[in-house]
Amino acid sequence: MAGRRVLITGVGSHVGSLLAQRLERDPEVEHVAGLDTRRPKVALERTELIEADTRDPEIARLIPPTGADTLVHEQIVRQPGPGMSSRAMHDVNVIGTLQLLAACERTPTLRTIVVRGSAGVYGAEPHAPQFFKEEMARLFPLRTRFQRDVAEIENYFDTYARRHSAVSCTMLRYQPAIGRGLRTQMTRYLSQPVCPAFMGFDPRIQLVDIDDALEALVAAVWNPVRGAVNVACPGTIGLARMIRLAGKRALPIAAPLFGAVTSTGRRLGLDTQSDDFERLLHYGRGVDTRRLTEEVGYTPRRTTSEAVESWAEEAKAAA
Amino acid sequence: MNTATAIDFMRRLRAGLDSGLELPEALTRGATALPRDARETLNRIVDRLEGDYSEDEWGFDEDFAELVEPFFAFLYESWWRVQVVGAERVPGHGRGLLTSNHAGILPWDATMISMALLREHPLPRYPRFLVLNWAFDLPWISSAMRKVGGVVASPFNAMRLLEQDHLVAVFPEGVKGTGKPYSERYRLQRFGRGGFVEIALRTGSPIVPVAVVGSEEIYPKLADLPAVARLIGSPYFPVTPTFPLLGPLGIVPLPSKWRIEFLEPIETASYGPEGADDRALVLELSERVRDQIQQALYANLVARGPAFI
Repeated sequence: MAGRRVLITGVGSHVGSLLAQRLERDPEVEHVAGLDTRRPKVALERTELIEADTRDPEIARLIPPTGADTLVHEQIVRQPGPGMSSRAMHDVNVIGTLQLLAACERTPTLRTIVVRGSAGVYGAEPHAPQFFKEEMARLFPLRTRFQRDVAEIENYFDTYARRHSAVSCTMLRYQPAIGRGLRTQMTRYLSQPVCPAFMGFDPRIQLVDIDDALEALVAAVWNPVRGAVNVACPGTIGLARMIRLAGKRALPIAAPLFGAVTSTGRRLGLDTQSDDFERLLHYGRGVDTRRLTEEVGYTPRRTTSEAVESWAEEAKAAA
Repeated sequence: MNTATAIDFMRRLRAGLDSGLELPEALTRGATALPRDARETLNRIVDRLEGDYSEDEWGFDEDFAELVEPFFAFLYESWWRVQVVGAERVPGHGRGLLTSNHAGILPWDATMISMALLREHPLPRYPRFLVLNWAFDLPWISSAMRKVGGVVASPFNAMRLLEQDHLVAVFPEGVKGTGKPYSERYRLQRFGRGGFVEIALRTGSPIVPVAVVGSEEIYPKLADLPAVARLIGSPYFPVTPTFPLLGPLGIVPLPSKWRIEFLEPIETASYGPEGADDRALVLELSERVRDQIQQALYANLVARGPAFI
C-alpha cells in the first residue's frame, strides 16, 4: 500500500501545525494537506495548504482532489476568543463540521477520520464518578453551549460512521492541554497574577501535556479505533496544588459571588473564562484513559502533575 | 506550648514578614522558636502552602489524613470510647468491600471505621468510602472528604477502587439509614437494590459485613422538616434535642459508647463476574449480608450495655 494521504483541518492552530510538521517528517506519509484560513504556527515543508474556511460549502469542491484517506478534524473552537461571539464559535464548530462531512461524502478515498474533540462533553459535576469512561457521555444533562456543540459534533460523526461502514471514525476526547508554547484557557488562567478559585472547593483537575496530546493524535491516525477515546495524562491534581506549583496564589471567592466577580473582571478588561472552564474550576473532572492505552496503544509519557511541573518550570525560565 | 514561646514565635514571624519575606519563609523562620514536634507540624503546613504534597488520582492525601488524625483519635478514644471486635478478619491486603449499617446524619461512622482499622488491624491501611452525593456540593466539606479518602457514591468509583485493590467501605442503606428517626435505631433499612453485591461479584472482592453500634445515638432524630430540607437542597432536615435549638453547636454529636464488629468475610470470587447478572444470587447475598449485620447489631447492643455511660 502506498503511503498515507492525510488532510488536517485547522492546520493554523497550535496542535494542527505541530501535527502537520510531525506527519511531514514521517516517510510513511505520502501527502499532507492542511485546510485553514490562518497561517500555520511553524514552518512546513511539504504540506499543501488549502486556504478555505470549513464553514464554506466550497470545501466540497476542494477536498476530494486531495485524495485523502485520512481526515484529522482539528477545527474546533474551545473558547470564543476576543472579538468572537459565542454564535460564531457555534458556527465554526457545528456548521463547519456539517460542511466538512458533506465534503467527506464526495471523497470516496476516505478510510479514517480522527476528531480532536473534548472531554468537556462530560461536563464538570459535583456528583460525577471520579473517572468518566467513554460510555458515560450522557450521564448528566448538557449544560453549556460548548458541551452541546461537542455533543452535536460527535453525533454527526457517529451518524456518518454508521452510514459508511468502511470509514472508521475516532472521536478523541481531550482534557485541557498544557505545555510549552501553548496558549489555552488553562495556561492563561495560571499566568494571571492571582487565580480566582471557588472558596472551599479543591477540584481534581486532569490535563494533557502538549507532547502527549500530539502523540495521541498521531497514534490515532495510525491505529484508528471506532468510537470515542479519552485522552489525558494519568492522574489528577488538586487545583490548589496546581496553582501553587505554577508559583501563583489562589483568590478564593464564595461560589454565589463568583459569577459577579468574574463578570466585573470582564468589564474591566481582565481575562475571562468560559462557562465550561468555570464549572471545571468548581467541580473538576477526571477521565479513564484505559481505552487510549489498550486500544489505541498510546501510553502518555507524563502524569498530570509532571505536566504541570514541567510547564511551570518552562514558564519561569521564559519570564 | 507556653505563652513565652508563642510570643517569641509571633515576634519572629512579624520580623520575617516586615523584612519582606513571603509567608511560608517567615513561618519557617518563626518556627525556630518552637519546641520540636510543634516545629515539625508547622513545617508540614508550610510544605502544603508551597504545594509540596501529593494526592493520588482520587484526591486522597495521606499527609492531610495524618494531620487531622489527632482530632479523630480524640473522638475515637475519649468521646465515643470505641471498642473493636474482629478487626483481624478484614483482609490485610488486596481488595475488600466493607459493608456497614449507616446512621448519624453526618458520616462519622465512616471515619470511626477508618480509625478502627488504623488502630486495631495488624496491617493498618486507609479504607476509601463512598459518601452521599450532596456532601460534594458543599464547600470545605467536599474537599476535606476527598482528602481523607471519600469518593462520590457511584458504582463506577467503587469498581475502579476495588480493581486497584483498595479497601472500600459502603453503606447500602444510604440516605434511608442516616435519615431514620431515633425510634427506628438499629433497625436496618432496605439495602438498596443490592448494587454493592453486584460490584463485589464483578470485581471478585470479599464482602466484610460491619456492625457499628453507637452511631445511631449520636444525633437522636426526633422529627424532620422536609420543607426546610427542600429549601437548602439536603435530603432531610433533622430536629434533634440540640439541633437546630443550639445552632451550630447542635452539630456536636452526643458522646454515646461505640462498638464496632467486623464479621467473617463472605467470599464472592468463586461465583465469577457473571454472578453479577444473576438477580437471584445478588438478592440472596444482599439479604444474607443484611441479616448478618442485623444479628450482629443486636448482639453488640447487648454487649455494649447502656448507651451513654
